[in-house]
Amino acid sequence: MAQVFDRSSNALARASLVLSGLIVIVLGVTLNSLQRSPWVTRQGQRPDQPVPFSHFHHVQGLGLQCQYCHTSVEKSMYAGIPPTKTCMNCHSQIWTDAQLLEPVRQSWATGASIHWIRVHDLPDFVYFNHEIHVNKGIGCASCHGRVDEMPLMYEQNSLQMEWCLNCHRDPAKNLRPTAEIYNMAWQEPSSQRPVWCTTTNVVGPTAQQVACVTTDPAAAGLQLTSLRNAQNGLIQSNPLGLDRSQTVSAVAPSMIPANYVKFTSQEELGLYLTKQYHIRTANELSSCETCHR
Amino acid sequence: MKNNSAANRTSMAAKNPVDGAAPGLSQDASVNVAGMPATAQLSGSPVSLQAQPAAQVVTQIIPAGVGGSTAPQSTLSSPAAPKLTLAEVRARLQGKSGKRFWKSLDELAETPAFQELMQEEFPRQASANEWVDPLSRRGFLKVMGASLALAGLAGCTKQPDELIFPYVKQPEDLVLGKPMYFATAHPFPTGAVPVLVKSDAFRPIKVDGNPEHPISKGRSDAFTQATLLGLYDPDRSQSPRYRGEVAEFSRFQQEFAGSVAATGNGQGVVLLSETITSPTLADQWKRVQARYPQMRLVQYEPVNQDAARAASKAAFGDYYDTQYRLQDADIVVALDADFLGGIGFPGFLPLSAAWAERRRFQKDKTMNRMYAVETMPTVTGFKADHRLALKPSDIDAFAAALAVGVGANPSGAGAGLSPEAQRFLSVLLADIRRSGGRFAVLAGPNSSPACHAAALAVNAAQGAVGKTVVYTQTVAPLPSEQSADLKALVADMNAGKVQWLVMLGVNPLYNAPADLNFQDALNRVSHTVHLGMHLDETGYYCDWHINQAHYLESWTDARAYDGTVSIVQPMIEPLYGGKSSHDILQTLLDPGVSAYEAVRAYARTYLNVPAGKTAGQAGEAEASQARAAAAAAATAAAQPGVSQQARNAAQEAKVALGLAAQDTPFEMAWRKALHDGWVADTAFSPKTLGAPKAVPIAPKAASTDAAIEISFRPDPSLYDGRYGNNGWLQELPKQVTSLSWDNAALMNLDMMTRLGIEENEAIQLSVGGRSIITPVLMSPGHPDDAVTVHLGLGRRAECGRVGAGVGFNAYLLRTVDQPLYASGLSVERSKGMYDLCVTKVHNIEHRGRYAQRDLERTELDTEGTYSLAGHEALERSIIRYATYEEALKNPDYAHLGTKDSDLTLVDKVGYNPQGEAVPHDESFWPDNWRYDHIEVVGLNAKVLQNKWAMAVDLNSCVGCNACIMSCYAENNIAVVGREQVKIGRIMQWIRIDTYFEGDLHAPAAYFQPMYCQQCESAGCEQVCPVGATIHTPEGLNMMVYNRCVGTRYCSNNCPYKVRRFNFLLYSDYDTESLKFMRNPDVTVRSRGIMEKCNYCVQRIEAVKIEADKNNRAIRDGEILTACQQACPTDALVFGNLNDPTSKVVQRKATERDYQVLADLNYRPRTTYTAGVINPNPELA
Repeated sequence: MAQVFDRSSNALARASLVLSGLIVIVLGVTLNSLQRSPWVTRQGQRPDQPVPFSHFHHVQGLGLQCQYCHTSVEKSMYAGIPPTKTCMNCHSQIWTDAQLLEPVRQSWATGASIHWIRVHDLPDFVYFNHEIHVNKGIGCASCHGRVDEMPLMYEQNSLQMEWCLNCHRDPAKNLRPTAEIYNMAWQEPSSQRPVWCTTTNVVGPTAQQVACVTTDPAAAGLQLTSLRNAQNGLIQSNPLGLDRSQTVSAVAPSMIPANYVKFTSQEELGLYLTKQYHIRTANELSSCETCHR
Repeated sequence: MKNNSAANRTSMAAKNPVDGAAPGLSQDASVNVAGMPATAQLSGSPVSLQAQPAAQVVTQIIPAGVGGSTAPQSTLSSPAAPKLTLAEVRARLQGKSGKRFWKSLDELAETPAFQELMQEEFPRQASANEWVDPLSRRGFLKVMGASLALAGLAGCTKQPDELIFPYVKQPEDLVLGKPMYFATAHPFPTGAVPVLVKSDAFRPIKVDGNPEHPISKGRSDAFTQATLLGLYDPDRSQSPRYRGEVAEFSRFQQEFAGSVAATGNGQGVVLLSETITSPTLADQWKRVQARYPQMRLVQYEPVNQDAARAASKAAFGDYYDTQYRLQDADIVVALDADFLGGIGFPGFLPLSAAWAERRRFQKDKTMNRMYAVETMPTVTGFKADHRLALKPSDIDAFAAALAVGVGANPSGAGAGLSPEAQRFLSVLLADIRRSGGRFAVLAGPNSSPACHAAALAVNAAQGAVGKTVVYTQTVAPLPSEQSADLKALVADMNAGKVQWLVMLGVNPLYNAPADLNFQDALNRVSHTVHLGMHLDETGYYCDWHINQAHYLESWTDARAYDGTVSIVQPMIEPLYGGKSSHDILQTLLDPGVSAYEAVRAYARTYLNVPAGKTAGQAGEAEASQARAAAAAAATAAAQPGVSQQARNAAQEAKVALGLAAQDTPFEMAWRKALHDGWVADTAFSPKTLGAPKAVPIAPKAASTDAAIEISFRPDPSLYDGRYGNNGWLQELPKQVTSLSWDNAALMNLDMMTRLGIEENEAIQLSVGGRSIITPVLMSPGHPDDAVTVHLGLGRRAECGRVGAGVGFNAYLLRTVDQPLYASGLSVERSKGMYDLCVTKVHNIEHRGRYAQRDLERTELDTEGTYSLAGHEALERSIIRYATYEEALKNPDYAHLGTKDSDLTLVDKVGYNPQGEAVPHDESFWPDNWRYDHIEVVGLNAKVLQNKWAMAVDLNSCVGCNACIMSCYAENNIAVVGREQVKIGRIMQWIRIDTYFEGDLHAPAAYFQPMYCQQCESAGCEQVCPVGATIHTPEGLNMMVYNRCVGTRYCSNNCPYKVRRFNFLLYSDYDTESLKFMRNPDVTVRSRGIMEKCNYCVQRIEAVKIEADKNNRAIRDGEILTACQQACPTDALVFGNLNDPTSKVVQRKATERDYQVLADLNYRPRTTYTAGVINPNPELA
């Protein structure tokens, strides 16, 4: 019986083996990079919103505080999207006939919601909780980026699980004093910009455990100290401090600067705050039930 | 003749003859054999039938295959599969030492079919070819290849755009993402259940008991829990209809009000209402009646309190309710009174709580003792220390004899009582006399008038009145004898005297007594109106149908068991604009007054408005002013063309007006009542009524001796049928029988054998010329010559997508004069088989007679490699208990027979069938999780980390199913439907196992809630290939749904059989109304996902976040699991094992605490407290 395959078939067979190996590898690499790509994660994408709302203008330009609109960020898992009423608080007075704001006025007149497109969209099996993050020293900008510099809102980070775990396995690198949560321009301490912190010894919410300043408390002078003394009395009148409504923004750095510690690196500050804020261990934070149930 | 069950029970938990450690406990094998009479002895028992187990009927039982797992494949569905005879069952039950527990007849029989059923992890999945087409191997690979590729890609798909719809004006007190809680009450004919409703963005998502209410104390029941699904039922009627066409309610109002006004005095107008529970509605009716004196109100419900009413009227001349104070009762006697079964019994919540409290075993506390006399085996009967099974007429005779026994009934001297009953009676009487008035005889809605009369007489004669029994005015504001009223109404209808029949929340075309021919009578009424949640059998037939609002959507009020008034407030705007009875009655008074205004106006009569202002007038003026303003605003807002701004302004004006009126005394009291969920100081005070008139209780007619009787009971899950379209309740395995999606004619094996019928066979029941065809289910402990049928099933297509055609309709046999039971039943075999849906054979890891075969022949297996020890239920001490005296003598009884010195043959190879925990250091698994991490909270307080666990007190668990229902609502559990339940795919995370013990004729039974045990060295975790079930640092076994790929290895490796797999897409992703109902904190599971109990981890996390935020440790009792929260008897306790002061640690510290299947060394976190029973030695 004559040979069915020519001698050259051997080369072909080898080549196809190599080729199929390559295809598998390429496919794997492609799929891997595809599912991390902005096409899937939407990182950096600016969807067409009904109103081209500018955080840049409202936050940096006008100086609105985050919680003016995102009211429940400290007390609920959901930060909250402002109702039309919040827009109309100002825009019934200013820019009352701007074409851009037509959908807002329409909503106010008809009672129908504005249909925003969600920018930060987690899968439905993820139970992210805002309140515990902002109460334990994770600033808005840590996840959402410099929102105050975004004319149109986009997703700064991938919000994929590996990104979550990067922090949950080592929260220290992102912790900041709770008083600085809403500070978009917060920068981690360095030798040029040290941070001074002290423990307050206040029984109460975690957010009250630490008082931090960015100016040297020793140089701040007598005036500041006496001011804080006065506030001190107020805080002490509620020694248990178990009021649930008392959260991050209700807290003033109020205690006497007994012994401030100076931090010149995020690493040191992070470790200090991990201890003071009783941040749970990496083992607990990266356990599945923390986010999935 | 001895009472078998009692005799059997006294044999101690000690199973092992070797055990000599406990004096008085070594009476195991011998006593047990003696106490368990052979069949020949039983024939002497008058209760156990004249006819002996007829061996000729079933002649053989195929021996289970010796080859182990190779049982014949074809016998599974064959109706010819041989069944077990009574004699054989009894033979199997006796002659073994120690306690023998069993779950079902099949398990006892060990038929090949049953063996095969047990082969599979999920019974019969292999043969379920519901969707797998026969594929060739190559075709299969092709398909698989494609799906593998797709599976890889599926992870890369983009999420679709998600929209956000913010409020236009957000309610001020709403924090999205945080639930809110509102108090209201669930009105039920036996008394309202005060509830606290969890509301997510104003959608009710969970109904639980009101923790501050004196009656519920946070507890609830299965029906109340399930009403949540009733609210979101997609089959609810969505609009008023006139002759089938959608119509306006206002048109009905005009027609109805006009016609009634035209009659002048209301002649010919009749309201046929469900039991009126609302004081406001009763007041409205009185005002309607004042205007139209000839108008009539008839209340009718198929399950009613007529017997109690009649007895009360006969004894005291008027209607009174009886309230029991079981916390003071040493002796509890239930005369066909299923007071532990659910809110069908008035006062279920306080009664079961008080009973369980007196049942807790503590050294220096007297434990109560319960006697139950009943027909159908109920949870109450099985929780009783002594249960006497009698057919209904014999119960009447027993009741009469009881009254005679205390000298309260002059006539009839216990005629017709069997010797066994006679003995039971005399012991019971002696116990009652000894108790010095600290006893209570209970009779309930299903008890006959004779039982009620006897209860009244005995309680009065022996001095219980004032101590454990008090009489009050009735909870229902307009008490009546409903059956008699309905009968009179039908007579009037037939005589053409009724022109308008307005049916409020009733469904007589389905559930009226069959002999009344309600349909014919209805045809003679010219105008028929139906108010109902569904366009049901009656609604479909009436001229007018008005869609009724659910109680979670409407304003009304109601009284709880003790008389405390609760105001029922709406949780949500009526989904379909439903109306209530208030609106119908108000049509005849002033259609402009809403239910809210009516309730508010009447609330002035019971609210405690502080004096000072002339509350009445001031309030009245203010109310009318507010009403006028609101009306003006509403009219203004309703004008077409008015902009939203104007509407907003109008609303603001209204709110401002409301705020201005806020601080009037009435307003304060009203708001307090709404906030609290009840009005303080409105409980009834006991009435002093004097001795009840002695009512002669008719002795039993001799003719009834041989006749077969049929007993009608409301269904334990569906009540009278009102919950027919509630999937949760339909699927819920019924108490004791574990029937799901079915009802059956219940009878005992004696009777089945005599009649030559087998389980599942179709039979025809005929009584009084009417007949129905039903399947048969053997009910252990059912009295002879009696058949029990459950009402509430067999609904027609109008019921809805869930309830239509489920079961048979037992109302077709029921007559108006004999609503509780009827005599002269004939039972005939009918054609065919009906495969009843019983869940109890699922979830058994059953090795049956194969267990230990290799161990007994040790030459085959000296290492114990092949087999686990012991027959699942029979020998592994899953249930442990002792009598009160034994427990006192030897508190360690739950662990007897389990020590090294007690080891028997099988133990020599390393297994211990008594199920004792393996000493920890022998564990193959090292301590992976140490739970000794120190947490710092507060300023610098160091506490041990959390370590969650649960303890279940088997003494307190009454098997009422409330926990299962609560779990449904909390964890978004899917309903799978009858076919899927049948093949073992029920999704409930909790099951209540019922273990029977002893003879079929008079068994004892024990209830054991079983759910994920959160094992320390869990088999599931070790076999999951993808890490979808993992151990958390706090000791939970978590299911990570998004990781699960559905191998089901975990379930295979779970000895407790508590994992549930989504074989199909069971969760309803499409029905809009059901989306509102879901708990937003729990993932709705899709197809191919394993799920199981996780100690309500979403609740744990929520509390943890709150505690972490506030820098404190979690307090004991701060986290309640859903099951624990619902439990009416506090049988379940959840908490932190690392907190020495926590309740769960205290429970687990008792010597009676044991692990189920502890010898497997899975080290479960959930443990059980062994039961203590308190039988009377004289009846032993």
